[in-house]
Amino acid sequence: MVLLQHAFCNASDFLTLMPTLKINNQYAHTSLKRVSGIGYGALNYGSVLALSGNCGYNSYTRHEERSSDNRRKKWFKLVNLDKLLKSTDDINGLLARYGVKFGIYKNGVFKEQLFPFDPIPRIIGKDEFSYLERGLKQRVTALNLFLKDVYGKKQIISDGVVPADFVYAASGYLAPCEGIVPPKEIFSHVSGIDLVLGKDGVWYILEDNLRVPSGASYPTIVRGLERRCSPRTFHDTPIEDNRNYPLLLRHVMDFVNTGGISVVLTPGRYNAAYFEHSYLAEQMGVPLVTCSDLEVEGDTLFFTGYAGRKERVGAVYRRISDEYMDPMTFRPESLIGIPHIFDVYRKGNVALLNSPGNGIADDKGIYYFVPKMIEYYLREEPILRNAPTYLPFYEADRKYVMEHFDTLVIKDVAEAGGYGVVFGSKLSAGEKERLRAMIAAQPRRFIAQEVIDFCDIPILDEGGQVERKADLRAFVLSSEEPVVWKSGLTRFSRNPDSFIVNSSQGGGFKDTWVLSL
Amino acid sequence: MGIKSVMNTDRLFWLGRYSERVYTTLKLFSSSFDTLIEQREDDHRVFCESLEIPDIYRDKDDFIARYPFGLDDPNSIISNLYRAYDNAIELREEIGSETLSFIQMAIYEMKSAMRSEAPLLHFQKITDAILAFWGCADDQIDDENTRNIIKIGKRVERIDLYARLRRDRAVIRREIRRLSWRIRRTELIYSEAGLQRLQELADAPELDYLEIIRIVDALVEC
Repeated sequence: MVLLQHAFCNASDFLTLMPTLKINNQYAHTSLKRVSGIGYGALNYGSVLALSGNCGYNSYTRHEERSSDNRRKKWFKLVNLDKLLKSTDDINGLLARYGVKFGIYKNGVFKEQLFPFDPIPRIIGKDEFSYLERGLKQRVTALNLFLKDVYGKKQIISDGVVPADFVYAASGYLAPCEGIVPPKEIFSHVSGIDLVLGKDGVWYILEDNLRVPSGASYPTIVRGLERRCSPRTFHDTPIEDNRNYPLLLRHVMDFVNTGGISVVLTPGRYNAAYFEHSYLAEQMGVPLVTCSDLEVEGDTLFFTGYAGRKERVGAVYRRISDEYMDPMTFRPESLIGIPHIFDVYRKGNVALLNSPGNGIADDKGIYYFVPKMIEYYLREEPILRNAPTYLPFYEADRKYVMEHFDTLVIKDVAEAGGYGVVFGSKLSAGEKERLRAMIAAQPRRFIAQEVIDFCDIPILDEGGQVERKADLRAFVLSSEEPVVWKSGLTRFSRNPDSFIVNSSQGGGFKDTWVLSL
Repeated sequence: MGIKSVMNTDRLFWLGRYSERVYTTLKLFSSSFDTLIEQREDDHRVFCESLEIPDIYRDKDDFIARYPFGLDDPNSIISNLYRAYDNAIELREEIGSETLSFIQMAIYEMKSAMRSEAPLLHFQKITDAILAFWGCADDQIDDENTRNIIKIGKRVERIDLYARLRRDRAVIRREIRRLSWRIRRTELIYSEAGLQRLQELADAPELDYLEIIRIVDALVEC
């Protein structure tokens, strides 16, 4: 279903982006000694072999792909998932015990619910992950450079690589951020990059999340529970330990801290991701604060405690959207912001993670230009590919979109969380006409993408296995250099007919195992 | 963890109070439950009077159904358990996921009790969970001030409840002694004069229960 000839920003990209990475023989003769002595039986869930492998090869060099794919298949044969899968109820019981929930509003009423967990992991081979790692580091490096540029010299605009319309008309562009260089010049400290593995074996970037990407806490906590329920699985299988995420995040906070304590700022208990806020604060050993705990005095941000005690704050991992951060600079009606915090940030006296204004770089329209940014800033070919995307803003693309409406997915760039996404083929004639008219009238507001037929992965469903759509949110943490967390949040759709994996729309999650051998 | 926010100080204190309230009222209710089954229709009134809660119940059966499980009754055990949970859920980074989990388990068990024909079995597990919560708090919360604030809440609530239940002098005196020892080890703002008055009341020839309740409830600035 993927029309690769339309996948890239220009016609030559298709050829030039075919990976030309060096052959990596480092692991070609890797001994599997740890495995050879395993007395454990072969995998009982035969079809689990198809975890990530039912989509053929992955698209990096052929040598790498064969090596990785073969090795992964070997591991699948040897990994004893049987015990792990039999522990599903135990794991879910522990998730309930520790309150691993997310909040959702239905008809204006807040409800907490457990995040549905599926025990069949997504398994990514070592070489395959190395490939993703290189691509993700490259992408996040370019995005950080773009943010520095776009709020600074704007070279990429003056050089005609990104049209000014796309920058200044984007809702994520924040004029107050002009000229601000955050501590250590890092804008996107935590980047959540959503990928899917197409049935053609190619990993595609679906979107970049550079504002307040969430989700890392779920695979972090569930790994400990899986290990508790099925220790043998982890003894016998070389899996990268992903429980270091809070340490990685804490390191980023310490790295950019301008002096004082670090805190996690939450809008409060009724935020959808409150579990994550509180869990990460606990694991990092930093206070979880709300707006009433912080105040600005002069040019400094303070944490105000009981009995009037105060402590300077040097880094804020904020889980509040830009527009609510500071009522004096952004939305004046915000009750969850801290008056004048933006002034402190502007003067370089506090680090805000992620930096305000990042929304310009993860705008759905700007997404189209990320491969060009990589070429522009890094003088490198993009390693990872965008999904084939069209901008109705350009006449040629608009024509294509109108002609191929039924095969495309149309996205409203102002929406998020799986909302504002419609499949042309599923609209009635009247709906199509209305949307066409809207695209014609407001072309900047929409993007269109080929429907990527991404891999189904198995999930357990009432005792049996069924196949569902899934994506992967990879996390890149930027300090001295970008570090890709060796795991990720695999989200899946529970609805057999749906491509939407968002938890807010009923999706579940899986652990993501990265093999270490 | 250094300084503590005003809100978290308040939550820790009330977490201690509500967890104690659930623990003690659950024990009381459990011991009354058996006798109420065979007793007169209005015998639940004794229970309400002893705890000084309004008798809003139609009869004994209504009391047995609503006092433990009445979500719309602010005096019910489940309402108090939810208040403990509401405080605990916002204290994960202070008390830790492990300690918090026992309050979460008490909630699940209370929901099971609501559906059960033998709720006492579940009440026993809730009592176990609260005891484990206190044990876990003692064992796993590194910060002494945090531990002490929860315990001050627990002691204040216990004195309040024991005074309402007209418990004997030895018990009241013991609880006031424990509170006095603990409260001086916290960073809480409290009334030293109130503390001394409590000790005097415990030693007075006649126990003035109402005055004890008034003083202990106003003791801490939370």
